[in-house]
Amino acid sequence: MRPWVIAVLSYRDLERFWKYKWWLAALVTMNLADLFIFALIFRGIVKRELIPDYFLFLAPGIASIAAFAAAFTIGREVMMELRRGFHHYLLSLPISRLELVFGRIAAGMVRGIIYQTPFLLLLLVLLEPPSPHGLLAMTLATLMIVASMSCLSIAASTLVKSLELQATIRSLLYFLAFFLSNVFYPESVIRERFPEQLYVVIVNNPISLATSIYREVFIPEMVPPTDISANLAKLAIWTLFLFLLGSHLYVRNLER
Amino acid sequence: MGVAVKIRGLVKKFGNFAAVNGLNLDIEEGEIFGLLGPNGSGKSTTLLIIATVYKPTEGDVEVHGHSVTKSPDEVRRLVGIAFQEPKALWVDNPYELLVWHAMVVGYSFLDARRAVREIMEELEIWEHRGKLFSELSGGTRKKVEIAKLFLQKPKVAIFDEPTAQLDVTTRHKVWDMIEALKEERRTIIVATNDMAEADRLSDRLGIIYKGNLKALGTPAELKDRIPAGDVMEFSIEGQAGEHLLAALSRALNTERVNLTNGTLKVYVNRAEEKVAVAIETLSKMGVKVRSVSIKEPTLDDVFFYFTGAQLREGR
Ligand SMILES: Nc1ncnc2c1ncn2[C@@H]1O[C@H](COP(=O)(O)OP(=O)(O)OP(=O)(O)O)[C@@H](O)[C@H]1O
Ligand SMILES: [Mg+2]
Repeated sequence: MRPWVIAVLSYRDLERFWKYKWWLAALVTMNLADLFIFALIFRGIVKRELIPDYFLFLAPGIASIAAFAAAFTIGREVMMELRRGFHHYLLSLPISRLELVFGRIAAGMVRGIIYQTPFLLLLLVLLEPPSPHGLLAMTLATLMIVASMSCLSIAASTLVKSLELQATIRSLLYFLAFFLSNVFYPESVIRERFPEQLYVVIVNNPISLATSIYREVFIPEMVPPTDISANLAKLAIWTLFLFLLGSHLYVRNLER
Repeated sequence: MGVAVKIRGLVKKFGNFAAVNGLNLDIEEGEIFGLLGPNGSGKSTTLLIIATVYKPTEGDVEVHGHSVTKSPDEVRRLVGIAFQEPKALWVDNPYELLVWHAMVVGYSFLDARRAVREIMEELEIWEHRGKLFSELSGGTRKKVEIAKLFLQKPKVAIFDEPTAQLDVTTRHKVWDMIEALKEERRTIIVATNDMAEADRLSDRLGIIYKGNLKALGTPAELKDRIPAGDVMEFSIEGQAGEHLLAALSRALNTERVNLTNGTLKVYVNRAEEKVAVAIETLSKMGVKVRSVSIKEPTLDDVFFYFTGAQLREGR
């Protein structure tokens, strides 16, 4: 594995990502606007004793969703390549399959990070700067959420050969990430409203795990204390699992 | 010189259909090897297996001793391919694509830029550097594709129909460039349907048909292998009848002798060795020869012959 090769591989993806920079800026702006509107509406509705400031409560969750959405765009690239036969070219290049896989995942990660940064910056500006430990946890959570979502999208895109289906899957995951996660409501509510098994699934999915970590780092006083290390460990397991799944499917479906 | 690419018992199936069907072939180090065959005969499929894009269904290919099935990473370091269909996404721009390619194959950031500019100028596509791939003409796309290999200069360079769609001037330029690559001690494989290209470039040729090798040799050897492939043409004066044709047929050991409007055509092998006997026979019979010409078979004829089509009459 040559890190420099992986950097070069993802450089191309970033060039392509950059071509959509205005679209991206518009998307970030829209997401931020959503965040404000949601927060303003719910601030008045949600009980103060449950969540003191809904805007601050929601922001870390939106940061997770943003990372998810941007990292997921790599899957679309992968599928376009498959459709246009470009993957033959990638397979012929003097690089190992592992380097190719890492290059693609890294590209998805960087996309996620670029997109998520404005949201995290917003949090850093609005709130007290976290401790060095907190910053480290935030960074790790970010790296893992973008890596796992990048892997997930690569896995999904090599499985389905149609753009429409790909978009459908993306919407479905989006939907799940929104409603079956702790982005919008605190865990106490989830525990109350959902059956036990579903509760376990909801709080242990990657989006929820990352959101919990961000909350613990930025707004510890607003959420019941959680074990950051345990959440990081769970996120690491997800990342490893999705990495193995994504890389296996990617190579298997590219090679014939 | 050793063997650069060794293909043994190669089979590639797509579903039940065998695109390559038990191919055996050695490509020598430092040669330009031409791969000929009708559409769908398995040329591209074979090349894609050498480039580790496809995996063999059965058999193996070794590139400088490295197997495509057991050590594909090593093979990829030695092989480069310019695809039949240029590989790019519509929103790619040629310059960025080539710079990226150069970096992947080992150029530094700055060297890549310099080398790409050079090759794009040489192929006269520098002016198109900023366009989208979707805006390029077919020939320009093809030039971008082959530029990749001239940047990469792999030990084994595979060109799949390199000059299809190129204009005459560029074709000759690309042929020169391919020959220059050979001078740099590279092994070159060229799949083509263009007989002029195969004749001009190839040290040796292989003709494949339905996934199998039908003929192998230098262009001259293959031409010699066509039975009665050479034509001696005599423009004659004087009496010529059935007895003359019979005598010639006997003297030259060929069935195929015919006469139309004072032009006598005799089909033989190795015409250059037989022309003297022919003239002698003619003069014995009192026929005066005004002019003689010998026509070797073209590669078209070689192609027709080995792929089962009939040798064309009356060239
Ligand atoms: N990915 C694939 N899936 C299914 N069939 C394929 C695939 N690739 C090639 N084939 C089939 O294999 C056969 C050989 O194709 P190939 O592209 O190797 O031919 P070729 O000799 O390069 O022809 P051409 O001169 O047209 O380029 C064809 O019948 C083709 O339809
Ligand atoms: Mg072909």
